[in-house]
Amino acid sequence: MTTPTVSLSEQMLRRRPVVGAAVAHGADAGLKRTIGTFQLTMFGVGATVGTGIFFVLQDAVPVAGPSVVVSFILAGIAAGLAAICYAEMASAVPVSGSTYSYAYTTLGEFVAMGVAACLLLEYGVSTAAVAVGWSQYLNKLLSNLFNGWQLPDQIVAAPWDEVAEGHAQGWINLPAVVLVVLCALLLIRGASESALVNTVMVCIKLGVLGLFAIIAFTAFNADHFANFAPFGVAAIGSAAGVIFFSFIGLDAVSTAGDEVKDPQKTMPRAIIAALLIVTGVYVLVAVAAIGAQKWEMFDGQSAGLAQILDDVTGATWWSTVLAAGAVISIFSVTLVTMYGQTRILFAMGRDGLLPSMFAKVNPKSMTPVNNTIIVAIVVSLLAAFVPLDKLIDMVSIGTLTAFIVVSIGVIILRVREPDLPRGFKVPLYPITPVLSVLACGYILYSLHWYTWIAFGAWVLVVWAFYLLWGRKHSALNDGGDGVITTAAPGLEDVEIVSPPKDAP
Amino acid sequence: MTVVVGFLAGKAGISALHLGVEAARTLKTSLSVVTVVPKPWTTVSLARIDAEYAQYADRIAADSAAQGLECVTKLDPTLEVSFHKYAHRSAPGGLLDAVEELKAEALVLGSASDGSLGQVVVGSTADRLLHSSPVPLAICPRGYRGSKSHGLTRLTAAYPGTEESRHVVERVAAQAARLEVPMRVITFAVRGRTMYPPEVGLHAEDSLLSAWASQAREALAKLKSDGIVGDDVELQVVTGNGWDQALDAAEWEDGELLAIGTSPQGAIARVFLGSKGTKIVRHSPVPVLVLPN
Repeated sequence: MTTPTVSLSEQMLRRRPVVGAAVAHGADAGLKRTIGTFQLTMFGVGATVGTGIFFVLQDAVPVAGPSVVVSFILAGIAAGLAAICYAEMASAVPVSGSTYSYAYTTLGEFVAMGVAACLLLEYGVSTAAVAVGWSQYLNKLLSNLFNGWQLPDQIVAAPWDEVAEGHAQGWINLPAVVLVVLCALLLIRGASESALVNTVMVCIKLGVLGLFAIIAFTAFNADHFANFAPFGVAAIGSAAGVIFFSFIGLDAVSTAGDEVKDPQKTMPRAIIAALLIVTGVYVLVAVAAIGAQKWEMFDGQSAGLAQILDDVTGATWWSTVLAAGAVISIFSVTLVTMYGQTRILFAMGRDGLLPSMFAKVNPKSMTPVNNTIIVAIVVSLLAAFVPLDKLIDMVSIGTLTAFIVVSIGVIILRVREPDLPRGFKVPLYPITPVLSVLACGYILYSLHWYTWIAFGAWVLVVWAFYLLWGRKHSALNDGGDGVITTAAPGLEDVEIVSPPKDAP
Repeated sequence: MTVVVGFLAGKAGISALHLGVEAARTLKTSLSVVTVVPKPWTTVSLARIDAEYAQYADRIAADSAAQGLECVTKLDPTLEVSFHKYAHRSAPGGLLDAVEELKAEALVLGSASDGSLGQVVVGSTADRLLHSSPVPLAICPRGYRGSKSHGLTRLTAAYPGTEESRHVVERVAAQAARLEVPMRVITFAVRGRTMYPPEVGLHAEDSLLSAWASQAREALAKLKSDGIVGDDVELQVVTGNGWDQALDAAEWEDGELLAIGTSPQGAIARVFLGSKGTKIVRHSPVPVLVLPN
């Protein structure tokens, strides 16, 4: 490797040029814009519901009491504002993909690495968190189906988890590990979730949550809301930080931007529709849950929603349905989130900011197998040994930071390249991005100091890796177009044949 | 040495005979048309209860031979052709016996009749042989009627890009040199399906595909630089959204034969078709030659 001749600051600020934009993006007229508002809304709802609502209450309600309802709305507003900024960013940058790609093409390599650090939390750690939540519902389902038989306490909880009364200390969360391994095997085989399956999953999730709300309302007790904000206003922000975890994925709407019909109209409609559905369902579930069960009782519950149904109805039938729905839909959420993580690492490997093994495709399965295995190992370790609330906090802080970067990115891009064609522009610029930064910033500000330290340390590790390794191996070093080319002899002899673009 | 064609009158048509005649001519050897008939009851019985059944078996063999002879004579009157009847409990079993006894160089089968014309349809007989044949197995598309040039015009090897499958290319190259036909090596790159909801964009698989295509390109270039194939061999990476699209994009010539190797996990020196190979066979518009491992 030759020593780079460019200065450090130039390295840190260099941006990935757009390669093959006409093919990847909607710049050529041939690309079919086929996605309408309904389907786009389904993307948003499908990516969002299920990441958190099934198990976030047990961590959020003890923080803020009944005022957690307000926290849901606060988190929803912040996520919605950020999603709108995402949509402009995605439409202005002619690359498709994650925040990492947007940041690399607009804000430079150094920021991109920081964003990548956040995304590893948003996808990798949230996969672990979701898997832990899945294991709770699986255990609940087993217990309901087999007359109280449960997996032993030692293998369904992390060693540092709080121990509820009558339970033994956990050693390892085995079901979560099994789930992660299953998803990894599916991804290695090249399995994917189709648009139809996504819609079915949305129906299952909304169905079981609606069922929960209806049954829980039968035991509604307004007295449970008497002491509405027992810990004051600041606690509402803290709870919003925990809850924010359940809003990640709303940005999925924006990533589909270049295939959306009439994006300037469709995009905000879909984002707002998805946001209203998601926030509405969450608030409904939260109100129903707190109405049915005193807020003091949420602490330390597992598979909380199913537990509430048990207490309300006095029978296990309904909670079995809910647990089954949760087990099916959380499985799909884990698959999709883990897939996202492998593809982000793939992009980084391709850009030379990670070792090239991350961008290697296995000839047999035609999937990035090494990459998937590494993700599976790291995520299983997190899922096996780290308690759920710690994971959730880390996901929230990473996601909020990434959202802020995007919102600032929108402003920077408007100032630096005002004439850039944008398929979608944020309404009420510059108020929207500024509000997005403020809303996300407020929630960030309320998070625990130890979350901040853990997050700061993590970002520093990633940046240190960049300074010591990444900047020397970046694909931009050759002064090229950002694609790693190997000078294998006779390469030009090999023809690449692709089907015509208008093929179905 | 001979080329064995599995043929049964009234089943799967005469396309296998067309390919068999071409194969025998290309390999400059004889053709053996084999009909597997049901095995009659061998227990001695005074009432000869099975006589009618045995007659029926003889009749279908005779019918097949007559129909086969007519067809082969029309195609190539000079070809040395023989007809054989094998009584066996199963069609694949009978064909395997024939391959062993007649010392076949290759086995030729037709497509099953329940698929679209022009596509290779693997029937139950072919399916079992694709996992057990000790000799190369050729299957023609449904309704195959030979090439206009009445012979092989090009040999294409499908190469998955792995180290362990380089020997397949080597063998196909040797065969192409022996038969003096041009050769082509293709690596198919098929795009993974889009994951919904699209958390990292709808085009994540596109970048994966382009990475795989450039990786495959290097592997192909290496075949040439390592001297496994000659300089005149055409090398191609063919991409597509699915196997059907990729196989269509590959531009086939009249009289072309697609050769694929089989998975190493099968028994030694047997054909054992893997999952990717099955997809290639099913979508091929030209006859496919499946080589034993």
